[in-house]
Amino acid sequence: MQNAYAQALWQLIEGGMEPEKAVHAIHTQLEAQGRTELMPRIARAFERLAARERTRSTMTLTIAHKGDEAHARKEALAALEKLNIPALRSLGEEGETHIDASLIGGWRLEGQGHLIDASYKKHLLAIYQAATT
Amino acid sequence: MDPSIVEKIVREIEGYTPTHDHQHVGRVTAVGDGVVAIDGLSKAVMSEVIVFEEGKGKKLEDSMHQTSTLLGLILNLEEDGVRASILGDTARVTEGMTVKSTGKVLMVPSGEELLGRVVNALGEPIDGKGPFKNPTMMPVERQASGVIDRKHVSVPLQTGIKAIDAMIPIGRGQRELLIGDRSTGKTTIAIDTIINQKNGPEDTRPICIYVAIGQKESKTARIMQQLRDAGALEYTIIVDASASAPATLQYLAPFTGAAIGEYFMDAGKDVLVIYDDLSKQATAYRQLSLLLRRPPGREAYPGDIFYLHSRLLERACRLSEEKGGGSLTALPIIETLEGDISAYIPTNVISITDGQIFLMTDLFNKGVRPAIDVGLSVSRVGGDAQTKAMKSVAGKLKLELAQFRELEAFMQFAQDLDKATAERIASGQRMVEVLKQKNGEPLPFEKQVAILYAATHAFFADVAVKEVTAVEAQFIDYLDGQHAKTLAEIKETGLVSEDSQKSLGRAMEEFKLAHPELFATK
Repeated sequence: MQNAYAQALWQLIEGGMEPEKAVHAIHTQLEAQGRTELMPRIARAFERLAARERTRSTMTLTIAHKGDEAHARKEALAALEKLNIPALRSLGEEGETHIDASLIGGWRLEGQGHLIDASYKKHLLAIYQAATT
Repeated sequence: MDPSIVEKIVREIEGYTPTHDHQHVGRVTAVGDGVVAIDGLSKAVMSEVIVFEEGKGKKLEDSMHQTSTLLGLILNLEEDGVRASILGDTARVTEGMTVKSTGKVLMVPSGEELLGRVVNALGEPIDGKGPFKNPTMMPVERQASGVIDRKHVSVPLQTGIKAIDAMIPIGRGQRELLIGDRSTGKTTIAIDTIINQKNGPEDTRPICIYVAIGQKESKTARIMQQLRDAGALEYTIIVDASASAPATLQYLAPFTGAAIGEYFMDAGKDVLVIYDDLSKQATAYRQLSLLLRRPPGREAYPGDIFYLHSRLLERACRLSEEKGGGSLTALPIIETLEGDISAYIPTNVISITDGQIFLMTDLFNKGVRPAIDVGLSVSRVGGDAQTKAMKSVAGKLKLELAQFRELEAFMQFAQDLDKATAERIASGQRMVEVLKQKNGEPLPFEKQVAILYAATHAFFADVAVKEVTAVEAQFIDYLDGQHAKTLAEIKETGLVSEDSQKSLGRAMEEFKLAHPELFATK
């Protein structure tokens, strides 16, 4: 139930309604039905929804060492260009950067349902698997 | 380090072209009871295989030591994500884990090298004999052959069980249901059928696939040993999804068996697949469907439970000559509760199959084994596949036995019976004895014909009911020793010629003369 209300709230705000007005509209509706006790649960569901949407729209570049960022970002953007996904390209430029030493080298771009893995770890694993099977 | 290994690694490095893999991915948002909710994977398709990325954040060394890839199977496509079942250990999946799409439907290995092996529902060997070297991958879900590609069922599949081969014959490409309460001998009939294929010629011997669904591992191990002892394991493949396996694997196992069988069928061979049992598969599918939050229907089964079994059993068929002439015979097993064959799953499967063999607890407890209820058992297409020899000796057997069962019930109340009724009852009692058979001892077709010929020609009329089984065994030995030529002729021609009839008549007379003591104890 709370998920449906949170979804409705999200859609109202996405549709251009001011957040205060949207919350007030939902509250009035709940009050008329005598279900105002749902409000805290709706708030928590809304938080979860917002976190999910944030993850969905974020593009994360992961590199092994801090010094690799500029080069990795350039390579990642070139790869995105090659794949011809414009929406991703803009996100790739502005996206977050994480450091993960286990990648050894190279980079990994993940977000919006896409993953491009150009890490050394992935390449080394591919060589290992080819040599051992 | 071995120089050859170094050389191989160098070769691999030199020949390696680094590529930027682009994949569609999602993220695990919830996990529990073998089912995961995934956010993303917008390009996913139904029944697609997904890969859980376990190596993220792990050191290279740890990733190298990871022995297997954890797979999942997409079962629900929803508005804002997908739901999938985990094909392995649920504990390995964590919230937030990245899931990669593969764009492929589930495939299992098949081929000659699977013969004599035990595999799980994913086709992975579990008998400790090592991986398969060069298998052919077959899709687990495949559209059943169409009308044009099929041929009439006309070749018999000998079970080696007199009562079945005589009265409820099964043809190659047929779907015959084995149904009955627990411990009534359903699996025994299936295993005897596998063992009996050894009695047939090697070139037309069907490849047998035994699919154990929700069974105890000890039972499957016992069956494997029994098949090995009988020399039947060499043409058999066991697919095991034991009671401890996740519900997804129990649901998939019959489809895996069918997929493995289809490889041989496509190659023009005959295949026999035993699904032991589909009630447990239905229960596993119900569990999975409820976890996937699909709406429950009758007995909490999902709405597509009929389709689950119909699409599986429709894959059994006999292909036309243009398609290679192979066949896939299905022997599904259903366990009933208190003999209730009108329950939901039994009625579904009865309506899908081409007949059923109904086993009764009462008969089993009376010592009639196999405990087949002739009145309720039927084979809708097998009659056309019965050999002329068997038809000629077993033509009226079913009717006579059904009449005997009625008279038997009447006999309990009547004091004085007229002579004709008494004779019919006596003959019926002897016929019931003749049709009794020990488990693990299937009888070759020609011997069945000889015994039934003798039984329908009043050979056992003067034998005490208790002695019929013993006399029958002695008579078979006698035929084996003295009239092997007649048996060979019946086997070869599939007919009981006039010469064979004379020879069998002579054998009966000779045997009676040689053993007068057996025929004076009525």
